[in-house]
Amino acid sequence: MSSSQITTRISQQVVKPLISTSNAEAKRRVLKLYRAWYRQAPFVVLEYDIPIGEKEVRAKVREQFEKNKHVTDMRVIDMLVLKGQMELKETANIWKQKNHVMNYFKETEVKKTDDFLTNFYEGHHV
Amino acid sequence: MLGYRFLSKLKHVLRPRPTPSVGFARSQEAQAVANKLEVFIDDQKVVVDPGTTVLQACAMAGVEIPRFCYHDRLSVAGNCRMCLVEVEKSPKPVASCAMPVMNGMRVKTDSPVSRKAREGVMEFLLVNHPLDCPICDQGGECDLQDQSMAFGGDKSRFVDNEYTGKRAVEDKDIGPLVKTIMTRCIQCTRCVRFASEVAGVEDLGTTGRGNDMQIGTYVEKLFASELSGNVIDLCPVGALTGKPYAFTSRPWELRRVESIDVMDACGSNITIGMRSGEVMRIVPRVNEEINEEWICDKARFAIDGLSVQRLTSPMVKSPEGYLENCDWEDALFCAAEKITRAGAGNVAAVAGSLVDAESLVALRDFLHRLGSETLTVNSEHPSDHLVNDLRASYIFNSGIVSVEDADHVLFIGGNPRLDAPVLNARVRKCWIHNELEVSLIGQDVDLTYHHNHLGETLSTLEQLLDGSHAFAKTMYAAKRPLIIVNGKILCGENGSRVQDLALKLANKLSQQHAEDGWNVYNVLQTEASRVAALDLGYKSSSKSALTKQTKVLYLLGADDEVINRADLADDCFIIYQGHHGDRGAAIADLVLPGACYTEKNATYVNTEGRAQQTRQAATPPGLAREDWKIIRALSEICGVTLPYSSLSTARQRLCEVSPSFSRYGDQEEALFFQQVVSLSEDSSESGATNEKLTNDMKDLSHFYMTNSISRASRTMAKCVQAFKDKD
Amino acid sequence: MIRKLILAAAENSIQHRDSPENNSNTKFEFTPENLKRAETIISNYPKGHEAAACLPLLDLAQRQNDNWLPISAMNYVAKLLGMANMRVYEVATFYTMYNRQPVGKYHVQICTTTPCMLGGVGSDVIMETIQKKLKIKPGETTPDNMFTLSEVECLGACVNAPMIQVNDDYYEDLTVEDTNKVFDDLIAGRKPKPGPMSGQNHRFSCEPKGGLTSLTSPPTGPGFGVRSDL
Repeated sequence: MSSSQITTRISQQVVKPLISTSNAEAKRRVLKLYRAWYRQAPFVVLEYDIPIGEKEVRAKVREQFEKNKHVTDMRVIDMLVLKGQMELKETANIWKQKNHVMNYFKETEVKKTDDFLTNFYEGHHV
Repeated sequence: MLGYRFLSKLKHVLRPRPTPSVGFARSQEAQAVANKLEVFIDDQKVVVDPGTTVLQACAMAGVEIPRFCYHDRLSVAGNCRMCLVEVEKSPKPVASCAMPVMNGMRVKTDSPVSRKAREGVMEFLLVNHPLDCPICDQGGECDLQDQSMAFGGDKSRFVDNEYTGKRAVEDKDIGPLVKTIMTRCIQCTRCVRFASEVAGVEDLGTTGRGNDMQIGTYVEKLFASELSGNVIDLCPVGALTGKPYAFTSRPWELRRVESIDVMDACGSNITIGMRSGEVMRIVPRVNEEINEEWICDKARFAIDGLSVQRLTSPMVKSPEGYLENCDWEDALFCAAEKITRAGAGNVAAVAGSLVDAESLVALRDFLHRLGSETLTVNSEHPSDHLVNDLRASYIFNSGIVSVEDADHVLFIGGNPRLDAPVLNARVRKCWIHNELEVSLIGQDVDLTYHHNHLGETLSTLEQLLDGSHAFAKTMYAAKRPLIIVNGKILCGENGSRVQDLALKLANKLSQQHAEDGWNVYNVLQTEASRVAALDLGYKSSSKSALTKQTKVLYLLGADDEVINRADLADDCFIIYQGHHGDRGAAIADLVLPGACYTEKNATYVNTEGRAQQTRQAATPPGLAREDWKIIRALSEICGVTLPYSSLSTARQRLCEVSPSFSRYGDQEEALFFQQVVSLSEDSSESGATNEKLTNDMKDLSHFYMTNSISRASRTMAKCVQAFKDKD
Repeated sequence: MIRKLILAAAENSIQHRDSPENNSNTKFEFTPENLKRAETIISNYPKGHEAAACLPLLDLAQRQNDNWLPISAMNYVAKLLGMANMRVYEVATFYTMYNRQPVGKYHVQICTTTPCMLGGVGSDVIMETIQKKLKIKPGETTPDNMFTLSEVECLGACVNAPMIQVNDDYYEDLTVEDTNKVFDDLIAGRKPKPGPMSGQNHRFSCEPKGGLTSLTSPPTGPGFGVRSDL
């Protein structure tokens, strides 16, 4: 079965909603989650004692949301919202530790690569 | 690809043959079964050959008897008395190491009598042994410590709390390698026996008598042997320890990495003791077919050279003519630019003595992809007349172990004692036990045993060949003769003449006189990389690389004096890739830092054609990288990417060239000896025969510094100094 | 105390130390007649076993060289016998009769083992006498290099205790007067007659005090007690 055939079949299926029944509802959920995160920001800074201000936390929240702005399938949106809620709960209840939160701000991490030359320059063993 | 198929068809032929010694043993087997003896070790029946000692019989039954003076590879002394066991119907306990078994003997190794005897001996040994274990370098691997725990008494009768003093012996100065703390000595005489039997240097002995007996040299003297370090391993206590290793680490801190020595071409098996990324020491590992359990001092003590004079960063020559650090990207692009500008045929490469097979094959493939064929080993040989097309012409065909079965060994050129100390130790062993006759053509040197010096020139070989030499008759009477040609002689002025004559002599011997299937012709290479390089098609003369045509010269660890700037065009760009700032780096325009043998998993092929691998114990310092990776990276930048980017794929490539590279530990039999002989006849050239065979290894002072690692080593420098100050 | 111990240890050390009179360049060579003797000694042993002649040759060398063996003499013997130097050193250090340091013209060895200590006047008295006479202690040499005194273990003349050995001669059955007389003679350059002295009344050898108790008659001739028809 070729991939184009698969897409055709999926598009012909009746979509079974996850939670939201319409795109509007899905959008509402996203905004609700965003607001919740937005309000949580000062507490995150306070409770985790991180060297980062509210502003940066909010910017990071926005960045994380915008990472998925291309998503249009409402089932996927619902799933992402669920995950965001889980994340929020873990953060709010201090089930996380400082470094888990700080992981969001780690920008120096470089992905491992299979490229020989890159590894050679970096001195990584393949 | 065709080559690979051809070779894989040959696989069944290339399987390692059983060692000859097994064959000879078999003929006597039937006879031996009849007169086997039956002994009982702790009521367990063991059937042994007559002449076996009680201790050996116990070992066969799986009972280890404690011992200090007994050692498998040395003569039996029987003076420590630690191996006392009770034998039924014997009034006293007997020293099991010196007692031959008798039929029906019943040995009790753990009876009250045996135990009491051991405890008594142990108590006597400890009476005068200092309690300085905390500051003793043997601590943790001390036989006396271990055995006093296992077999000693459980209480002390030491009452000298006033401390009137134990026996004290002054320390001896026997050179820069072995440290002596003679008060700890228990007079097992292992070192004395090693020196006189294995090393062949009768410098150590026991002086005095009774309680005043000492081990030493009596007169202040250097223990001048290339194998002297082995007494450190032999010493069961801390009396002889490594001087450079003193107070540096404890055995339980060391991680042991099993590796291969590359200081000579024998490929002695070693264990590297590593702690936190640093090589602390090297000790031998048993390999009956190569080094038994000895290694030479260079292999053991040159390791302090691994941490000095290292190339830690790529370097490029500035307009002012200084080498300046740069990063890898700059260095590789610089190299790539020069290489691409040079044009196809004008890039040449020379491989040095410590290079591994992976980087050799990478360099070869790289140059081939660039369209150049000029790949050579580092040798002074003036022409390409040397026959190196078939393996039989450049490896030690019959294997090092064949010395055990030989009845005549003829060395041609060189100094085997210093070029291959472990081989020479084996020849000496056979000279003692098998009545092996040894003769030497070339400059006469001290081989530690008696040998016939036949002559110094090529004409001696010619006379041997036509039978006019006085010694020819003895030579031709040999049933299992070995001709061992020194690899350095083959690379010398008249190398191809030597090769031709030696091949003819070997052919004559094997056809007319020697036993069937006995390989007469052997080459003793002196550089660890040489056989792999020749296997991979490197040419045996550097001359073709050193022409005025060469625009870029790639030196892969080539550090010997063969390469001179003067031989090259003025605008020739020299790239040196290697691990030490030695002669090669000094003349280079661009330096690429590589890894040395303790820092990479790499394949080396020893003089027998036996592939073995080194294992990584430390990481390359600074920006240094594994050698084959450097070539692989450079190839990518030059736009001729090599099709392997991991060690396993690089090894697959090696295996494609010759499957022997992947059969680690096996010695492949080289075939087509007859073809080698006829090839040599075709290419032989005539010349003067009265020229002397040169030899650069006259005495020990030439032995210690032969490659970039040992030249960087302080310990080796001290050895040279000590040897020169000796007289 | 410790310093003294260290000095004593250095003195008796079996490690050779070069000194002006004893180093590897000290000249030593057999005299022609001794060389001839050495060859005879070597020829006593089978070929290939020349090393067996090590002991007698070292002794010969010591006799030639004023009763002591310099390191060069050991090297010379080693070379003569085709042995490694070390093997000769082992032999020379093992046997106490080889003196590896210079000794006086007369090497006086006094036995102080039990039978000599108990027999006659006892070796303690003799030792005292000698020390008083020569003004040296055991192990020392007189300033004029005439006498070296050594305290040794049993020399195998227990029946004639106490005894001393001066170079090759035994002086036995000693009393204080005998001892003094022996040394007076030696100092005066005369050689006293060796053998039993006055302690047991100048006996001939080691016979009992009250005369012989056995073997008193002359020995019987050949054929004694044999059947006449044989």
